[in-house]
Amino acid sequence: MRSRVLGLVAITLTLGLTGIVGTAQTQTQTAAVRSTTAAKSKVPRTPWGDPDLQGTWDYRTITPLERNRELGTREFYTEEEEKTLEGRAGRRMDGPPEEIRPGLTHAQYATDPGRFIADGNRTSLIVDPPDGRIPALTAEGKARQSRAPNRNNAVNASWLDRGNQERCITYGLPSASLPTLYNNNIQIVQAPGTAVIIHEMIHEARVVPLDGRPRLNENVRAWIGDSRGWWEGDTLVVETTNFNGKNSYRGSTTGLRLTERYTRVDEGRLELRLTVSDPTTWEKPWTVLLPMRPTEGELLEYACHEANLSMVNILEVARDAEKAAAEGKAPRNPGPVDDRQER
Amino acid sequence: MDRARVVLITLIVALSVSSSLRAHHSFAAEFDANQPVTLKGTVVKMDWVNPHTWIHLDVKNPDGTVTRWMIEGGTPNTLVRRGFNKRSLEAGTEVTIEGYRAKNGANRANGADMILPGGKRLFMGSSGTGAPKEGPEK
Repeated sequence: MRSRVLGLVAITLTLGLTGIVGTAQTQTQTAAVRSTTAAKSKVPRTPWGDPDLQGTWDYRTITPLERNRELGTREFYTEEEEKTLEGRAGRRMDGPPEEIRPGLTHAQYATDPGRFIADGNRTSLIVDPPDGRIPALTAEGKARQSRAPNRNNAVNASWLDRGNQERCITYGLPSASLPTLYNNNIQIVQAPGTAVIIHEMIHEARVVPLDGRPRLNENVRAWIGDSRGWWEGDTLVVETTNFNGKNSYRGSTTGLRLTERYTRVDEGRLELRLTVSDPTTWEKPWTVLLPMRPTEGELLEYACHEANLSMVNILEVARDAEKAAAEGKAPRNPGPVDDRQER
Repeated sequence: MDRARVVLITLIVALSVSSSLRAHHSFAAEFDANQPVTLKGTVVKMDWVNPHTWIHLDVKNPDGTVTRWMIEGGTPNTLVRRGFNKRSLEAGTEVTIEGYRAKNGANRANGADMILPGGKRLFMGSSGTGAPKEGPEK
């Protein structure tokens, strides 16, 4: 535990949160007021009185983001379904593969998608709208989608033909906050007036001011947007805008707005309620409820670009296919490129 | 077959697919699902690098020659979390790896399963690996 605390301190320092010091005094005053009202709450508190959300949080789950259409508006699995699905997920984690099949893109032994249905036996992480699915695209969203380049036809002339995730630029938001095959962890570090949310997937750190300072000018755009936060009771609310639109999530644009609400329900559970909106893309906003559990150990650096041999290999495969085509040995296109990054 | 069972099977398939969809790198741009390979060989070294580890494997061919293969594995932090570290797969270890070969026929593969000497499958069974307890208590 001691080493973990030291680790958090070290991370806070290395993240260079020098701006915090200047605001600490004001924060302490407001914290004093807050701590009196919060005294009855069971939520752990920081020394300066904020709810303590710090730690490394694991959000693995086999509950899909979107509900299977077969289930309609049914929010919860039956016990039998839970048993079967979790049993299968457990066997997949612990036992030999039940099948070796195309599309299992990473070594089974090396993936870490979890084995449990989200708390309460939820059939989807999306809790709103009631069908548990991302709302329909607007007419503009559909038109935009139909104009988008189809990466299935990419000739992979260069790395620019590949997506931001493969290029290790960013996993982006909200992707980095949603469960995937591995790296399903975030770390939260707090200081008076600031919270830092570190995403394991491509190790992004968002330094979120909580001191009421104004947003960045709307002309200042960023890959993971500009996050501003505040407390509503014991809930940390983080609103993120100013996306640069270069990392579209299912067609989203620069109009993407994320509202995260982190609530520490008790010692062993953090709940993230994430609302995603982009009025030109989806007909209405949608909300995800993602439970998280504390996990031991440090959040290790995922230095994605360190040895991104996959990119080299993808381009090599494409060049070899072209060479073979020139020699009349094979079709020019290297074959169906099953690119499913943007999820 | 009753409707409940049909729904359940649909869910199983849907969950299988959804988990396979969430990969960091495209499988199909790099590897060939129609070229499954089973490689039995000796570990030369393992590169503990991001975003994916690579195992270098010397595979003896039927004619006695040796071919060095590179097998793509998981990300280091995931491996560590699952109880696998630099000592887990030392040089000289005989392993069998099942996976898919690179699309251009290079001696590279995406590893799907690994079998250690004595038939033990790597990571198979989280007890005894030293891995931290996974997931929430049910």
